[in-house]
Formats: sequence, structure tokens, C-alpha cells
Amino acid sequence: MVNNRNIYKPVRAKLTDVIEESPLIKTFVLIPEEKFAFKTGQFIELSVDGIGEAPFTPSSSPLVTDKLEVTVMKTGYVTEYMHVLKPGVFMGIRGPYGRGYPVDKFFGKEVLILGGGCGLAPIRSLLYALEAVKDKLLKVILCYGSKTPTDCIYKPLFNRLSKTEKFEAYRTVDKAEEGWDGSVGVVTTLLTRIKVEIKNSVAVVCGPPVMMKFGTIRLLEMGYTDDQIYLSMEKNMSCGLGKCGHCMMGEFFVCKDGPVFTYNELKNTPDIWK
Amino acid sequence: MYYLHISKEEWDQALEQLLSTYNIFAPLESEFGQDYEFIEAASIQNIIYNKPKPAAPLKSFFLPVKENVSSQPGSQKPRIIMGIPNCDIAGIGILDEIYLDKDFHDLFYSNRRDNTILIASDCIGILEHCHCSSYNINPYSTVIADMAVIKMENEIIIRVISAKGEELTRLIPHVQPLTGEGVISSVDAVHKATEELLQSANSRLPDYSRTGNLVKDAKSEIWEKYSSHCVSCGACTTICPTCTCFLLIDKPGFEKVKQLDACQYPGFERVAGGEDSLIDLHIRFRNRYMCKYVWKPSKFKSRACTGCGRCIEACIGKINKNELFMELV
Repeated sequence: MVNNRNIYKPVRAKLTDVIEESPLIKTFVLIPEEKFAFKTGQFIELSVDGIGEAPFTPSSSPLVTDKLEVTVMKTGYVTEYMHVLKPGVFMGIRGPYGRGYPVDKFFGKEVLILGGGCGLAPIRSLLYALEAVKDKLLKVILCYGSKTPTDCIYKPLFNRLSKTEKFEAYRTVDKAEEGWDGSVGVVTTLLTRIKVEIKNSVAVVCGPPVMMKFGTIRLLEMGYTDDQIYLSMEKNMSCGLGKCGHCMMGEFFVCKDGPVFTYNELKNTPDIWK
Repeated sequence: MYYLHISKEEWDQALEQLLSTYNIFAPLESEFGQDYEFIEAASIQNIIYNKPKPAAPLKSFFLPVKENVSSQPGSQKPRIIMGIPNCDIAGIGILDEIYLDKDFHDLFYSNRRDNTILIASDCIGILEHCHCSSYNINPYSTVIADMAVIKMENEIIIRVISAKGEELTRLIPHVQPLTGEGVISSVDAVHKATEELLQSANSRLPDYSRTGNLVKDAKSEIWEKYSSHCVSCGACTTICPTCTCFLLIDKPGFEKVKQLDACQYPGFERVAGGEDSLIDLHIRFRNRYMCKYVWKPSKFKSRACTGCGRCIEACIGKINKNELFMELV
């Protein structure tokens, strides 16, 4: 049946809180004017009125439908405007769009998650979803890398996860600062510290392109197969509807066919890490 | 599908009557060539029949260069578009697949489609760059269009294709079933003659699926060579009946303006951090070919290049895609 809804029209959402996660990253807490359900890993188009919109995967729990959290790194035209917004204003949201993480395919398995920088945002949403079904999972291991300890987002998350049954969380930084006594090095260095039964495991990678590339290469070296690796791809998703063409990656519309793909689906597509 | 006929004089009278219910657009000739124009009673006699082809692609009736898509689309006077060559009719196929997609149905596009009767024109003769038949598209319409028209001497022969087309024939007085085999075989002969012209003009051009493989396997030298004349003006995408990429622009009040865009413009795929997978000219140039002959064919049933040849005519760098393909063979 054809839906008569205007696919281009955003839903208004009130900005109720802005949480400073790191010098460049803030989390925006939004109350949409309509109920807004999404599956973890799906993305939304978030707009600043009259300025522009950009794609983000919510960082909040997919089980919550009256409130939405979106974590945004200041990195371009629209996000510069976002970062000066104060609670009380309205933002626009369209979506949710695309194919998220297939959580039910992770049942009975160990889930290894590699995150880098702001890539922890979609992963936090995934972690909420996985916590809700932890009885059906063997274990969940989070390995996260940030440039410096200051750049690490959701710091309380790591404490909480380490106290959660079946969950393990590890952090590393590219460059240490005073007071940091943890691991130093890129995120893949953490992989030497963990124990996984690769045959019965899936791996999820989300972060900047260079980290996704080398993370995937390392996972393949460890013995993960192409279809055990899930990548959350980022392109210039503009309409979110599989129409405008901006996010075409080979034959795929990242907005509609992704943003979550297995490496197996993408391995023959050129320039996926660009 | 069946044939009807009517005298040219009675057909013109019928069109004049239809003007009270419909906005009619049809090809007229001017000093700049042939293009779709808004038809008034006085211009009915000047409508061009069966001569390829209007300068603008049919998509311009369904995808305006710029439109505000914030509110629900309003109702408009129904319209008839006449004189559409089949390369343009075939181009609507992929637009329908994209915009009438069941998950994300574009009301602006679907309203225009519902509101429009498409009268195709069987091509008699070809232009220099016409090559529809190389891509399995006939120079006459049998699907997608609502009806097709061919003018033979002082008769208009109507091929009724869809229910919408059949409905329109009920508003045309004096239209008669075509019973004699003689006229139909004359129509077939016209089709055949145009097909032969296309075949002989494009005998060295690879077919659609072969083109896809050639494009996929082509080395970067060929893209560098042909793109060296490209100035990224986007004329090829603007004039293309199937290119449909767009940009959403935000206006105050959470309004969205949808504006045609093109992968040939620099920055089309640039993301916020500055990464741009199409930053190099030859890769950007190649993208359009990959999209039309490799990626879209793996995703959609309809052709993403219908062989109209307009991109060759429009290119200010005189880049001829067919020469590129023949060089790849």
C-alpha cells in the first residue's frame, strides 16, 4: 500500500539537553513531537532550522521511543551550527533510514566491537540493544580507541560495562596525556589482549575510514570471514530515501542498502574506505 | 494494445476541444530546433509528428529543476504531453522505479505522473547520435506510454497502449478502429525503416550489457583521456532523461527545497570531514558511466541509458560517449 506521507518533511524535535562529551563532540538530547522508533544502527537526518541537515546514527537506546540522543562531532558546516545550539530550540528529524545491525543474527555468539572516535555513538546504541538481550549472547567485547584520553566520549560507559555480566570494555589512545596509565596505540593493538572464539563470533567496526580499513584488515588476519564483519559506512547521505544519489557506493545506496553492511557485501566495491 | 485512426483534420479539432480540460504540451519547431511547448489552439497545426526529437528530456515535466517539497503537493490541471520519442518514454521507466518506490513514495512525482497522459511518437528517421536500438529500446513505444501516434499522409494512426490512453480516446470523436491490415503493415514498414537506419548508424557500437562490462574493466587511461575535455558543467546529466540526482536545501521553518544535482559537479560526494571519493576529475567522469552501465543495471529493471544521444549533443567539450565505447571494444 502506498503511504501518503510527505517523505521530505521533518518531524520537529525539542532540544532538551546538550552534553559535552569531548572538546569536539556533544550529545544532543531530543524529544520528538511524534513517537520516534528506530532500530539500532539505522540513521536519521538531523536538521538545524534553515541551515541544513546531516545524517547521524542515534547513540541512544532503540528501546526508548519518546527521547532520542544524537552525538555529533563538530566537523563541517551544519555541525558547527549544531554545536552552538542551546536547549529549548527545535531541530528537525527525518527517518529512521536504512538497515541497522542485525542483532538477532548475533544470538548465541560472541560480539567483538571495534570503535574509533565518534564511531562510538552508533556503538553505544548497539550496546544498549545488546544489553537488553544479553541472555541470548555469549559475550560482548568493546575495544575503543580515541586520539587522546580527553577525546574519549561516554567515559562512564566503560565503568558500567566492566561491571555488566558478559560485557568487557577496553580503551586505548593514540597519544597519552598526564594521568593516563592505560594502553597507548591504535585500536587494533587491543585485539592482542582479548580472547574470542572467532568461529562463533561476529565483529562490528565503526569509526573513521582509516580505522575501519585497518580494523577490517586486522580482523581478517585474525581469521574472521568476510561475512562475520559488520561495517557501519558513512557517506554523504542526503535524502535518506535511496533517490538523491549522493551516497552511492558502487551499486549500493548507503542510505537504503546500509549503512550497516557485511564486509562480504562491500569487498568488491571500489573506494569503500574513502 | 490496438490501433485506431482518425483524419488529421478531426484529430486537430479534437485536440482543440481537449484544451479546455487539459494543458497540452507538444513539440514545435523554432529557430533553435524542436522542443516541447505549451500548445494553444493557434499552434495545434504546427505540432511536429514523428520527427526525432525534442531538445529537452521528458523528465523535465516530472522533476523540476527546483521545487519546495515541504507541504503536500496541490492539485493541478491535468495535462497531455505529445510527441515523446521512445528513448524518453523508456527513461520514465527508471524514474518510476526510483520515485514510486513503495517504501518512499514521492508524492510530488506520483501526482505529476497520475496527472499526465503520455502520447508517444513513433520515430521516422534518426538524428546523428540516436542509438536507442543498440540498448534494446525500439524507436516506437509499446509500454509505459498511454498511447502512441503516427501521422501517415492525412491520417493519424493511434496505438492505444494503456487504460488511461483508452480513456482518452473516448474523448476523441470520430476515432475509428483500424481494421485493414494494409495500414498496420505500413506502420510496421516505417518502424523497420527507422530500425535499419539505427542499425547501420550504430553497427560498431557495443550493446548495453557488453558496454557495462567494458566500462567496468576499462583502465584509468581511457577516463583520463576523455575527461581531459570535461569542464564539469553537468550538461550531460541535466539533459539526460534518466539522471535524477538531487540535493535537499534547508529553508527556515524546516522547509525543504529539492534541486536537481549531478555527480559531475565537484563536491557531490564530499562528506563533512572533507573526504570526497569523486574529487579526481577522471574518477568523477567515470562515475557517470559506472552508474548508467554497471551499478543502475544491477539494481533496477529499466535502462539507465536509453540511447537518446543528448549527452553527446550537449557536451561543450565535444565528448562523445559512443566513441569512448567503440575505443574500448
